[in-house]
Formats: sequence, C-alpha cells, structure tokens
Amino acid sequence: MAESKREIQKQHMAAMSRAERSYVRRTALKRRLWKLFRFLILFGIGFVILYPLLYMISCTFRESGDMTDPTVLWVPRHPTLSIIRETTEAMDFWEALKNTLILNVGCSFVQVVSCALTGYGFARFSFRGKKLLFGIVILMILVPTQVITLPLFFQFRFFGIRGVFSKNLIDTMWTMYLPAMTANGIRSGLMILIFRQFFRGLPRELEDAAYIDGCGPFMTFVRVMVPNALPAFLTVFLFSIVWYWNDYYVSTMFFHNTRTISTMLYNLDSEISLRLFGDATIKMNPREQIVWKQASCLISITPLLIMYTFLQKHFTEGIERSGLVG
Amino acid sequence: MKGEKQRKRPRLSYQRRKSLYGYCFISLWLIGTLLFFLIPLGKSIAYSFSKVSIKPGRIDMDWVGLDNYSYAINKDPQYTDLLEETLIETLWKTPLILIFSLFIAVVLNQKFRGRALARAVFFLPVIIATGPVYEIISGDIKSTGNTGAAQFSTMFRTDIVGDLMRDLGFYGMSERMTSFIATVADNVFGIVWSSGIQILLFLAALQNIPPSAREAAQIEGATAWEYFWKITFPCVSPFILANLIFTVIDSFTNPMNRVMRRIMLFQTEEMNYGLSSAMTWLYFGIVLIAIGAAAAIINRFIYYEFDS
Repeated sequence: MAESKREIQKQHMAAMSRAERSYVRRTALKRRLWKLFRFLILFGIGFVILYPLLYMISCTFRESGDMTDPTVLWVPRHPTLSIIRETTEAMDFWEALKNTLILNVGCSFVQVVSCALTGYGFARFSFRGKKLLFGIVILMILVPTQVITLPLFFQFRFFGIRGVFSKNLIDTMWTMYLPAMTANGIRSGLMILIFRQFFRGLPRELEDAAYIDGCGPFMTFVRVMVPNALPAFLTVFLFSIVWYWNDYYVSTMFFHNTRTISTMLYNLDSEISLRLFGDATIKMNPREQIVWKQASCLISITPLLIMYTFLQKHFTEGIERSGLVG
Repeated sequence: MKGEKQRKRPRLSYQRRKSLYGYCFISLWLIGTLLFFLIPLGKSIAYSFSKVSIKPGRIDMDWVGLDNYSYAINKDPQYTDLLEETLIETLWKTPLILIFSLFIAVVLNQKFRGRALARAVFFLPVIIATGPVYEIISGDIKSTGNTGAAQFSTMFRTDIVGDLMRDLGFYGMSERMTSFIATVADNVFGIVWSSGIQILLFLAALQNIPPSAREAAQIEGATAWEYFWKITFPCVSPFILANLIFTVIDSFTNPMNRVMRRIMLFQTEEMNYGLSSAMTWLYFGIVLIAIGAAAAIINRFIYYEFDS
C-alpha cells in the first residue's frame, strides 16, 4: 500500500512543472526543518522544567555523603530510603499533611462555593452599583496581599466591635476560613472573575425554563447552573487547591503553632537541624544539607503531582471551556 | 389608567425582586470584602501616614504626614536601589515572558506526536511555581551554583553567550548588548518557570480561533508568518493585556521579590509598621501607574471580536 502511495506521488511529481516541483520540495523541507526546530525547542525547555524535579528525585534517594562525591552525578552510589524517612519525621509530615488538608483544602473548597455564588450574582443579576462593586473585584485582583496583611493581622488579633468585645483569632482556623467563606481568600478576585465569565457564557434559556417551572433563584442556581458549570468548578477548585497548598505567606502571618506543609518547608533549615541534631543553630555543610532539602521538597509536592497526573486534563481543558476566553 | 398601573407594578417589582436576589448572591462577598479587604486597605493607607505603635489591647496611630514616605525614599539605605532594580527587572522580564508564552502556546497548539505529554510538562510550573518549593529549587540553582546543579548552571553561564557571539562573528557588539543577552540567558530558568499560566491562557485563546479562519487563510495562500500576524495575533490580543497584568501582579507576590523582602523585614522584625506600609504603597502605586499606562496603550491595539 505504502509502495503504491509513493508511486502515485512520484507520478504526481513527474507531471508537475519545474517551478511547482521546487515549490513542493521547498515547503516539504521547510516543514521538516520546523519539525526539528520545534522538537529541539520543546525538548530544551522541557528539560529546564523537569531538571529540578529529576534532580530532586535523584537527591532524595542518596546518602548525604554522595553529595560530596564528585563521581555521583545522577545515579546515587549509596541508594537509601533513610533520608526520606528522616525528612518525613523531621517535617512531622503526617501532622503537617493533616493540617494542610483541614486548612488549605477545606478553605479552597469553601472559597470555590462562595466565589461561585458571587460570580453568579455578578453574571446574571442587575442591581444598583454593580459596576462599582465589580470594580472592587478587579481591585482585589490588582492589590497584592502584602498591602493588606498587616491591618488584617491586627483585625484578627482584636476581632470584634471596638469597645464591646474583642477576641484574639490569631492561630485559629478562623483566620483562614472567614475570608474563604466570604470569597475573600487567596486570589479570590480571579476566581470570581472566572466564574462570572463562565456563567455569562451559559444560555439564559436554562434559567428561564427553571423559573417558569416555579423554581426560585437559589434552587435554580443549585439545580440547573451548578451541574452545567461542573467543568468550571473543577478547574477553579484545582487552582484553588494549588494556590492554598502553596501559600506560606498568609499562613506564616496568621499561624505560629499550626504547621502546614508549606510553612514547614519555609522554615526548613532550622527545622531540620533541630529535629536531626537537636539544635536549631547548628549550621550544616550546605552541600550535605541538600539531600534533606530536596527530599522535603519532593514529599511536599508529591500529593500535588499525583493530583496533577490524574486531573491534568481538567487543568488544561477546563480553562478553555470555562469561558474565561471571550 | 388603573389597568396600566396594575400591569406596570408587577413588572417593576419583578425587576426589583431580581436585583434583590442579586444582592443576596453577592451578600457574602460584600460582607467579606468590607471586613477583609476594604477596611484593611483603608487602614493600610492610614498606617502609611502615621507612626504605628502597639499598646496592650489596641493600636495607636500618630499622624506624621509624609514622613514615612520621605524616609523610605531619602533615608533608607536599600529601598530605592532595590525598587529601581526590581522595577527595571519587571520592565524587561514581562515582555519576554509574554512573547515566550505566546510562542510556546502557538507551538503547543499545533498537532504533533507527544503533544499531550509536552503540555503536561509545560503546565507543571503552574502547580509548583507559586510555592516555597520553587524558592528552594531556584535558590539552589542560582545562589549555590557550586552544588550538584553546577552542570545545569554552566548551561546558562554568562561567558558561554559571549563566546558564542564571538564565534559567530559578532565582534563589534557593544558591551551592553552582550551583557543584556547574557542576563537574558541567565534568566531563562526564571522566565520558563513563571510563564505556566500565561501559556495556559494564550492556548485557551488560540483554541477559540475558528478552524474556518485557518482554512480561508490557507486557500488565500497566506504564509504561516502572515497567518500569525493577521489572524492569530488579533485573536489573542485581549489576552495580552490580561497576561500582562497577571505577570506583573505575580511578580509582586513572587518569593524572590527583594523589595517585598525588605518591606517584610520592617514588618516582622523592626516592627515599623508605618514605614513598611508606606514602602508597600509606594511600590504598589508605581506599578499600578505603569499597568494603567500599559493598559491604555495596549487597549488601542486590541481587537475585540464582539463589542461588549
């Protein structure tokens, strides 16, 4: 079959004039060159992205002595699992994971719900001051967290009405859950925007049908809009999890005792010295310290990586369907 | 008259009811924004104009006018230098990130074997780059180049570029140009790692281009180059602005941002809250003005398919 195809092509070429032939050849060459170029570019940049991860994996399974051994580049000479065990212990990994799950994943879930409600409100209802309020949403996207953390800290420190009662909320889960519940958590402005765009893209007939059937707006939202918006929900939820999981700025600000995986990682140096040698001030040879550092990086992103490999499609396709475009 | 009134009233109340429902839907956000965004925002401005001291059970603010700002600009030994450095870095890095991510998005939008894998790899930074892991990874590679990452850093070593340029015959190139290229090469890592979401957005925009446009262009004999400028570029142009804003705002919250580090120092260690607020607002103000100017310029060249 392939033979005959090639023959047909040959006949085709023979039938062409010289100019045509050279044009066909030129475009074929161009295409092949572009293919090669594309492969090189993608491979090179893919290497830049994967390098730290591969290095991480390679470091995690070697003894710290291997770091100073110049013959060891990628494959560990003394493969070991003890580093990962030590790091898990030093980071108090399971405790941190539990905190992260309760705090960050819980918050991201709550925040997705509240942002969806808000986004829907902005997408489908007209009310006075809508433009101004939506301007505030845009402002939320623009203003970096650092600008407001300080007053926010004091607000949580003395939470309540001035002179009537005040409560110290620092170090409690409320500092994260309250903003998340009211659609003001990490990068909530962006999520409201995504939801608003998405709901605007859904056909109005869906709701009208529900209204005519005697469904109230809230039931319409729950029964009709949410099922239709599931892809958007999943995408935003995934991003929300990632952003909350990676957050250490807000968590270190509001928590002193509760350790999440990210804050643990942030204070890694002293933490490792403390747990391994019983003294936070011991300075290790930075080269030998790398094994533990890389190991802790690896175990802290492993849950995200697992999630990513399974739900990768939703990351990339969800945004296309989420109506963020146009 | 009477009939008209009767007919009109329910419609009005329906509209009012709808707007009421609208308020209901955004009420949670409204409360939250007031408590956790607008009030802190106002307070933060107030802090920047005053001397803040913490007394048991309350916070005292003494109005000092522009003192904090003038201290930040005139007296602080590092602030203005860092600010200048960071702003210039943002200035050249942002266009590079945009160009790079648009290019990669165009490539990833083509059909080829292993595309799914390539996409998976290219979006990987999205889940890592916002966290402390990125700081460790990049710090490891950048500052302690003598570690196991040595071979990696040689890839982007400064003199390699210079050597290459000399080999290619670019002798007469000015020092500044070479050093510029060298810096760019040094920053390849940072650029690649911070353009995950931008690629994602551009790719989404590219997929919205109708296939018929491509066909028409092909029939008319447009080259790939023409196709890019006449069709691809106008279609993604609204996203250039969005990506620009996203990139700049992201560089604020970047753990490597040294201005913010300096500010945090005053906030957490020296407890000089007024000064740190003033510094933040100064930085934010400059960036906001820059974004506004960029948006105004870019907006003239954006092509909107639907005017809405």
